[in-house]
Amino acid sequence: MQLELDDIALARGALSGISLTLRGGELTALEGPSGIGKTSLLRAIVRLDEPAAGRVRVDGEDARELDPRVLRRRVGFVAQAPAMLPGTVRDNLAYALPEPPDEARLRTALEAAALEAGFLDRDAARLSGGEQARVAIARALTREPGALLLDEPTASLDPTATAAIEQLLRDLAARGLAVLVVTHDAAQAERIADHTVRL
Amino acid sequence: MTGVIVAAVLVVAAVGLSRASRIGLERELVLAAVRAGVQLTVVGAIVALVFEHAGLAWAFVAVMLGAASLTSGRRLRGTPHATARAAAAIALGAAAAIVPLLATGAFDTAPRELVPIAGILIGGAMVATSVTGRRLIDRAEEDRAGVEARLALGASVPEALAPTVRQAVTTAMIPILDQTKNVGLVTLPGTFVGLILGGATPAEAARVQLTVLLALLAVELVAALAAARLTVAGLRAPGERVVIRP
Repeated sequence: MQLELDDIALARGALSGISLTLRGGELTALEGPSGIGKTSLLRAIVRLDEPAAGRVRVDGEDARELDPRVLRRRVGFVAQAPAMLPGTVRDNLAYALPEPPDEARLRTALEAAALEAGFLDRDAARLSGGEQARVAIARALTREPGALLLDEPTASLDPTATAAIEQLLRDLAARGLAVLVVTHDAAQAERIADHTVRL
Repeated sequence: MTGVIVAAVLVVAAVGLSRASRIGLERELVLAAVRAGVQLTVVGAIVALVFEHAGLAWAFVAVMLGAASLTSGRRLRGTPHATARAAAAIALGAAAAIVPLLATGAFDTAPRELVPIAGILIGGAMVATSVTGRRLIDRAEEDRAGVEARLALGASVPEALAPTVRQAVTTAMIPILDQTKNVGLVTLPGTFVGLILGGATPAEAARVQLTVLLALLAVELVAALAAARLTVAGLRAPGERVVIRP
């Protein structure tokens, strides 16, 4: 998948004139100080916020022409400190899938997020921060998106969990996903990204 | 009249008690008593007039609906055209019982029956609308992260708010469910007491009270579901987003 941001300006915050291209198989880091509008930019790509100006193209198609639900299945978004839906990990992963959920798909998504099958029946609310981050990534992968946007995915994690998530993001890019990671940590951007955009 | 005089003397005693115990509620007590006296006298006079003219009864019902809509509309703040949404939910809920009750002759369209019954049903629909709408908007705000997680997974706004709707409607139904379950055991509702004091037999009073309570179950559920649907529509912004107006 190719995701193009063309001269995006945000309604809130100071960001304007943002243009960048995300390609499948590449990990791009969006790095900059807190409060500059990195989160709003991610949200604008999946239309959880409307940009003040500019255009997002998904494989050449204007994102505004797409049904937002279809857009969000093609472009996964993982918020900072993502909310777990009530219930088990299975409930979280099955949320976006038609009933009854395809068990093979659940396991593939779980595996892609480096979680063991035993996690499926655990209460999502009782998992550690690092495990919840993985569940949120697995949940975003169930619809097999072409791109994945993550907002500070390691912000509240310890160094071990951070290293594991960083490796996971590299693996996802290697599997062909276009991965965009927002971070305030220049060293992290340096470690994991193929390209870094500094704001 | 003796009753009113005795009750007024009780208020004077309460004022004396407040002063003696330095609570400082004298002004509040007098004001509340005077307001109640004036309001009930005025309403009594209007209702007396309404009971004489069938046309005025429907106008009075319309005024009740308008007042209820303004009250609930304030609770639905955060959605556009909140008063109109409240009015639609209350009217739909109340009509769900008023229409069949009148059509089957269970109650007469004579003002003496129409006005109090419509008042009770509109009042029930108003409370269900207020609680559902407010609870839904507050929960959508509190659980913004959960709602947006669902939207990000490709849910529509009604799908993302479905758990919130269920909670809000359930909360709105608790008072009428508990009241209906415990009627006669814990409380004697107003209709029953009023009819008994007005000279009806206990059996007659019980029949009317049962009709009203059962009707209220339907009225409040219809109003709550309509309020939920209209509130969700009000929170849904283009681009499949949830926007709560300041």
